[in-house]
Amino acid sequence: MATNPMHQFQVYRIGPEINIADIDLSFTNASLFMLLSAVAICGLLFLGTKEKKIIPGKFQLISEIFYNFIAKMISDTAGSKAKPYFPFIFSLFMFVLFCNMLGMLPYAFTVTSHIIITLLLAIFIFVAVTVIGFLKHGFGYLKLFVPSGVPAVLLPLITVIEIISYLSRPVSLSVRLFANMMAGHTMLKVFGGFVISLGVLGGWLPLSFSVALTGLEILVAFLQAYVFAILTCIYLNDALNLHH
Amino acid sequence: MSNLNDFKTRLKIAKKKLENSSKDTDSSRNSSSMGSAFKLSTDLVAHVAVGTIIGFILDSWFDTKPWLIIIFFFLGSIAGILNVIKTAKKMQEKE
Repeated sequence: MATNPMHQFQVYRIGPEINIADIDLSFTNASLFMLLSAVAICGLLFLGTKEKKIIPGKFQLISEIFYNFIAKMISDTAGSKAKPYFPFIFSLFMFVLFCNMLGMLPYAFTVTSHIIITLLLAIFIFVAVTVIGFLKHGFGYLKLFVPSGVPAVLLPLITVIEIISYLSRPVSLSVRLFANMMAGHTMLKVFGGFVISLGVLGGWLPLSFSVALTGLEILVAFLQAYVFAILTCIYLNDALNLHH
Repeated sequence: MSNLNDFKTRLKIAKKKLENSSKDTDSSRNSSSMGSAFKLSTDLVAHVAVGTIIGFILDSWFDTKPWLIIIFFFLGSIAGILNVIKTAKKMQEKE
């Protein structure tokens, strides 16, 4: 069982079973790691903002780097109108990043390797962006589906294509994060299994692969959080500055 | 007070150095281009999948199996390819 590469994705209950109105609300290892990442984020930012020095300490430096990174990303991709949404995008980025990074620790559970988590995040973003778009532009937001400068004959076809394009946003957003995390962790586990089964003589090659893959996985963990946040900014930009 | 002024000039110099070095390294551009590579590949698949799912749902609504699923599969493919072209054009404009 321990050598099964998919075993690491199993969700199991921790503590007592809680059933409310036939819905299983028990505390699982997934909930534990989500809680851990939330606590880690709050702890880091609390330590970072406790003492505001001119010359920042370690924690303050890290917090400032994260803040500047997200602030620059929002102003670059969505413009100044998106400034009010900074807290949302910042927490989104930090949550995904910390879930991915905590998953890189040995024996840890990767929350983002489950499609239900990423799909829920993506659907929330999708609904929020759609609501913001309709609030800002009224029914003019539907112009997003009717690009200008298209001959009248092609218009119905283009509109259908644009609607498919719009609806596929949450799917591609969630599948990208989930698939990358799950594939990476499965691959790490498979190479780890090779090390055990090949023993002292032949295990060195998969071990070196494993080390290299760990580095790659840390890069992917950061990159996927970045992509998730930047795509949210791009969608927000479409909703705020309608230019089609 | 002189200490603070000294610090200010040192900060200015450090900032200048940082600006120059950030222009030289293209690591940030590198990672964002890797990000857009991930975006392009999943976008293409997601468009086809969503198109097919829409076709499937409409088919079971209107009882027209299997025509709408075929049509929407192709529409999804077209949407995916158009989207990739659009993103690639945007990336070229940036450079």
